Amino acid sequence: MATLLKLQSNDGLQLEVEREVIFCSQMIKTMIQDLPANDDDDDVIPLPNVCGEILKKVVEWAVHHKDDAPPSEEEEAEKSTDNLSTWDSEFLKVDQATLFELILAANYLDIKGLLDSSCKLVASMIKGKTPQEIRTTFNIRNDFTQSEEEQIRKENEWCEEK
Amino acid sequence: MMPPRAGANNGSRHFDLDQIWDDLRQGIEQVYARRGMSKPRYMELYTHVYNYCTSVHQQGGAGPGGNTRAAANRPTRARPTGTGASNHNSGAQFVGQELYKRLKEFLNDYLNQLTKTGGDMMGEQVLQFYTKQWEEYRFSSKVLNGVCAYLNRYDPLQSQGHWVRRECDEGRTNVYEIYQLTLVTWKETLFEKLHQQVTNAVLALIERERNGETINTTLISGVIGSYVELGIEEEDTTLNGSLMSSTTTTPTAPPAPSRTGPHLGTYKNHFENQFLAATQNFYAKESVEFIGQNPVTEYMKKAEQRLTEEHNRVEKYLHDSTLNTLMKACETVLIQNQLDTLHTEFQNLLQHEKKDDLGRMYQLVARLEDALGDMKNFLEAHICTQGLNALDELGESAQSDPKTYVTTILEVHKNYHALVLTAFKNDSGFVAALDKACGKFINNNAITKAVQSTQKSPELLARYCDLLLKKTNKNPEDQEMEDTLNQVMVVFKYLEDKDVFQKFYSKMLANRLVSHMSASDEAESSMIGKLKHACGFEYTSKLQRMYQDIGLSKDLNDEFKQWMTTNEATAAAAGTATPSSTSSSSPSNLDFQIQVLSSGSWPFTQCVEFALPSELEQSVNKFNEFYNGKHSGRKLSWLYNRSKGDITTNCFKNKYIFQASTFQMAVLLMFNSNDSYRVSELADATRLKMDILVQVLQILLKVKLLLLPAGESEDDLTEGSVVSLFKEYKNKKLRVNINVPLKAEIKQEQEQTHQVIEEDRKLLIQAAIVRIMKMRKVHKHQQLVAEVLTQLSARFNPRVPMIKKCIDILIEKEYLERSATDRDSYSYLA
Repeated sequence: MATLLKLQSNDGLQLEVEREVIFCSQMIKTMIQDLPANDDDDDVIPLPNVCGEILKKVVEWAVHHKDDAPPSEEEEAEKSTDNLSTWDSEFLKVDQATLFELILAANYLDIKGLLDSSCKLVASMIKGKTPQEIRTTFNIRNDFTQSEEEQIRKENEWCEEK
Repeated sequence: MMPPRAGANNGSRHFDLDQIWDDLRQGIEQVYARRGMSKPRYMELYTHVYNYCTSVHQQGGAGPGGNTRAAANRPTRARPTGTGASNHNSGAQFVGQELYKRLKEFLNDYLNQLTKTGGDMMGEQVLQFYTKQWEEYRFSSKVLNGVCAYLNRYDPLQSQGHWVRRECDEGRTNVYEIYQLTLVTWKETLFEKLHQQVTNAVLALIERERNGETINTTLISGVIGSYVELGIEEEDTTLNGSLMSSTTTTPTAPPAPSRTGPHLGTYKNHFENQFLAATQNFYAKESVEFIGQNPVTEYMKKAEQRLTEEHNRVEKYLHDSTLNTLMKACETVLIQNQLDTLHTEFQNLLQHEKKDDLGRMYQLVARLEDALGDMKNFLEAHICTQGLNALDELGESAQSDPKTYVTTILEVHKNYHALVLTAFKNDSGFVAALDKACGKFINNNAITKAVQSTQKSPELLARYCDLLLKKTNKNPEDQEMEDTLNQVMVVFKYLEDKDVFQKFYSKMLANRLVSHMSASDEAESSMIGKLKHACGFEYTSKLQRMYQDIGLSKDLNDEFKQWMTTNEATAAAAGTATPSSTSSSSPSNLDFQIQVLSSGSWPFTQCVEFALPSELEQSVNKFNEFYNGKHSGRKLSWLYNRSKGDITTNCFKNKYIFQASTFQMAVLLMFNSNDSYRVSELADATRLKMDILVQVLQILLKVKLLLLPAGESEDDLTEGSVVSLFKEYKNKKLRVNINVPLKAEIKQEQEQTHQVIEEDRKLLIQAAIVRIMKMRKVHKHQQLVAEVLTQLSARFNPRVPMIKKCIDILIEKEYLERSATDRDSYSYLA
């Protein structure tokens, strides 16, 4: 029988996940492997930086991807330009705040696949937009002065499309 | 963008190092104290590091390159997408530095403390201490590395949290991933202070094992593992010549993939060099002492055992890369330095044929490079002497005893062939030594010297073949015959004058074939096949033709018989020639067998003068008629001296059948008409020369078919002597063979053979010269001679004066001329 690990979110949600499933988190994998096996091995693993809602999403993602083969180096290079899988893009249809927190959680737990997918989605949200459009999309205040902006535009003139 | 939910994200919170350091340090202390750690505690520590690294700092601007514009020049680094409250990020990328510094300080303190504890320890105690602490330290450091994983991590989408990685990428040499940091710190502190103590203790322990004690090898393998792993941060330049080892994975691979693979500088400098020196000292002393008190054979066993031990030592607890250097060091001391002693012993062992010891010595010396040369030379000289002695002991009798001669040679060869095969593992150098030695003593030994000719060996070998292949009542079985013939080929291989062998062999083959004395066709053709295999088609072409002629002659006889019966009707039997006194026989029912031999292939000389008795003439004429009708333009010369027949007597008490030569028949048939003749009368009738006739008569006298008047001896026959038929002839057997070869014939044949060989050689040399000159057009004398020698060495070794003579002949025949400008050169005249 597969060993189960208990994960606990910062708002008290406990989830039991198969060891191998959550080993997509390099961080958890390292911990389990490095710590000597204790008798009280049913320690709960508290995740102080993840809330319950996000933890559920993370585990959902992990369960779906549990049988993924580890990507080879070539695939990794290709993947950076690939489109998201249908499942992933469906999975990531969430509001911006949730997406942002998913990214943070993936980074915190060191889940490369999830981090790649979610960041790719953000990248696609930026792609082809003017600075002003980007600001609107992400609700960012323009904190450059007029002259600063002029200066930057000049410096980057070479890459503008003529 | 919606603001993150409160509490779910700490991106907006500030974590100062001081805030977390106390708790983090306590945690790390717990790790290094080896008090168990729970997962929640681990998560707490990890989260401390994570939060600290990801939070944004106001005070980090002190680091190098710490301003916004510089950061903007780095294309890989995006402005953080943080909330408006924290867009001031100038120090973010150096966020790890302070934590890193504190970690290093912590490790330093911890290790300095440890070093003090171990500082006074010696021997096994220090090893116990070192290996135990090292294992624990490694283990704890892995946990630390996990806790600080975020500090190590490379994360292309975030500008924060990968401080270590970035510093490494920028070529800072003193910044490592945390695990490596722990290793480097160990090396800088504890190792730096204690390594000499530890290494000495290891060497002492190994010496104890060499002296036969049982030791705790895990102590050593622990230390070695540590030394190897400590090589982790070295630059490639320390890798001198140990590329192999850098690719072998050590059992103690670090948890995080390191930027540089394991290098062995630490291992080599702090252990291996001292170990090799100690090893050489140990064995230098031991080998001198041992060899002083024990026989060399015992020493070899000891050396062999020591080498195996050292080999196992590397496998058991040292690093693989040491194997070659260690073995080389041991071989130098144990073998190379004792080579003189070994050489002396080698000759002893050869003398006493100690195969096992010889094999052992070979195995030892073969380990060194190019050290076998002397042994090969000794072996060659020894075999040669053994061969010469063996043949010398045979004495002169062997000159006419091919069997003893050849078997003696074979025994020597077999003996040393077996030795080379087993003791020297068929090493090509030793095989060559055996071949050289055999070549020497087979071609030049007491027996060849006695007759002053290297041609004696090929002759005796050919005679031995004749003995084997001739029909006798003790011919060996097929398989045995094949084996023996293979043995003959062994000797044949070593003959210098293979052409001499060929001449004698073909002569004897001819005799066997003509007189139907071959033991088995199979054996004959097998032997021809072997010679062909060894020397090529040309060498055996004549032998093969002879063999064919015999086959053809069989058919020819059948045809002739048919021809005779069909002719019977027309040519009525009017024969008067009746052998012996069987008056009723006519030529057609005279049993008549011929063999037609092509004159180029057979080594027979033309017939001496002889008048065929009229009784036989008819048959000969008939055959001439038949043959000429069949092949026009061919000339048959009759070899009367090779012919023979059966002759039946009616004049004695019993009816005897004599197997006689044609000459004997001619003489005996004379006595059909008269009981006694003067020798001169017989000579007139048979037209035989006196010397031959005398011999024929001597044999007939000896078997008591003819008689001399009382008082006269058969040894001084003259033309005037009178011989008469001995009518009281008696013999127990009714069928008597009186066909004994004539003495003069044998002698003459031998001389002829040698002459023929000389002539043939001249031709072969001339042919070779012409071949070479045709290709070269102009050639120096010396080079020409050298080339002739190499071309012909497969057949015989031409003597240089002979070559010179042949060159002169060719100049005379205007194939060559001396070059006008250079007296030393010849040019080819087309």
